[in-house]
Amino acid sequence: MTAEPSPVRAAVTAGTRDAGLVVLGYIPFGLASGAAMAHTDVAPGISIASSFLVYAGAAQLAAIQLLGAGSGIAIVVATVLVVNARHLLYSASLEPHTRDWTRGQRLAGAFLLADPIFALAVTRFERSDERRARIGYYFAAGLTCYLGWGALVVAGVLLGGLIPPSVPLELAVPLTFLLLLVPLVRDRAGLVAAVVGGAVALIARPLPYGGGLLLGALAGIVVGALVLGPERPGRSDPDAPTTGAPTTDPSTTDAAGSGA
Amino acid sequence: MLDAIAIVLSGVVTYLTRVVFLVDRRIRPPGRSLRYLPLVGPAVLGAIAVPGILAPLGVISFAQTAPAVVAAVVAVVLQRLTRQLVVGLVAGLLVWWGLVALLTAAGWR
Repeated sequence: MTAEPSPVRAAVTAGTRDAGLVVLGYIPFGLASGAAMAHTDVAPGISIASSFLVYAGAAQLAAIQLLGAGSGIAIVVATVLVVNARHLLYSASLEPHTRDWTRGQRLAGAFLLADPIFALAVTRFERSDERRARIGYYFAAGLTCYLGWGALVVAGVLLGGLIPPSVPLELAVPLTFLLLLVPLVRDRAGLVAAVVGGAVALIARPLPYGGGLLLGALAGIVVGALVLGPERPGRSDPDAPTTGAPTTDPSTTDAAGSGA
Repeated sequence: MLDAIAIVLSGVVTYLTRVVFLVDRRIRPPGRSLRYLPLVGPAVLGAIAVPGILAPLGVISFAQTAPAVVAAVVAVVLQRLTRQLVVGLVAGLLVWWGLVALLTAAGWR
C-alpha cells in the first residue's frame, strides 16, 4: 500500500498466501485423514507424529492403516517408499532451481518437498526470481503447508468422531489426488500410466490395504513405459547436458542449461 | 513402540526420496531412468484416485459411482478453468453431496 516492498518480502508474502489457499483446499482431506487414522487401533499420538515426521498424506494414511491392521514394519516402510517414490521426480525437478542455495538450505528444503510445494515452487520459479526471493517463497510456502497440514490432521484425529456420518467426506481424498494428477499427465504415456494404474488398483482393491495401490502403481509404470518405448538410438547420448531434470518441464531444463 | 519405530523409519525413507537429488549436484538421475521417471507420478496418483472415485464407499454401484464420477468431472473442469485446486475440490464435494442427496430422495440405494 505504501512503499514498494522488497522482492524478498513480497516473495514471502506470496508464498504464504499461495500455500494458505492450498491448505484451505486440504481442509476436507486433512480432517478426513486425521479422522480415518483415529478410527484405527494406532495410538493418536503416532498418527499425529506421522504428520510432522512423514508429512505426506497418502503415505501416512497407508502407514497408519497398515499398522492398524497389524502389518510388520518392513511392509509399512516398503509401502511408504513406493507411495512416495514420486518425490524422486520432485527432487530431480527442483535441483536446477536450487543450485545457488547453500547445502543446508537444500537439505532443509527437501524436508518440505510435498506434492503442493513442488507444484507451487516449479510454477513460481519459472519466473526466475533472484536467489533470496526464491528461498523466501519456497520456505514461506513450505512452512505454511507443513504447519497447516499438521494442524488439520491434529484436528481430524481429535474431532474425527464428532464429524456426523451424514456429512460424507470419502470423496475428498481421491478427488484431491485426481486434481493433483491431472496437471501431471502431459502425454499419452502418462495418461496410459494413470489409467492402467487406476484400473489395476480398482480391480486389486480387495487386497489388504496398500496392496492394490502398489500393484496398480507398478502396472501403470510398466505399461506406460511400454507405450513410451525404449529411447531411440539416435537420441541416446548419456553425456548430453540433460541436467537431471525430467523432460516434462522445459523451463527447468532451460534454467539448468544456463546455470551449467 | 513398534508403531513409533515404523513411523520414524517411514519419515526417514520419505526424506530420502525428497533429498536424493538435492544432496550433491554430482548425483543426478541416471539417463536411462530419466525417461520413465515422469510416469511414476501419474501411475501412483491414478492408483490412489481412480478406485476412490469409482467406488467411494468400497463398492461400484450406480447410486455411489455415478454421483462421484460427475463430481470428479466438474472438479477437474473447474480446476482447469480457475487454476485453483480449492475451487475444484469444493465444487466437486458440493456436486457429490447434492447428487447423493437427490438419488437418496428418489429412492436409489
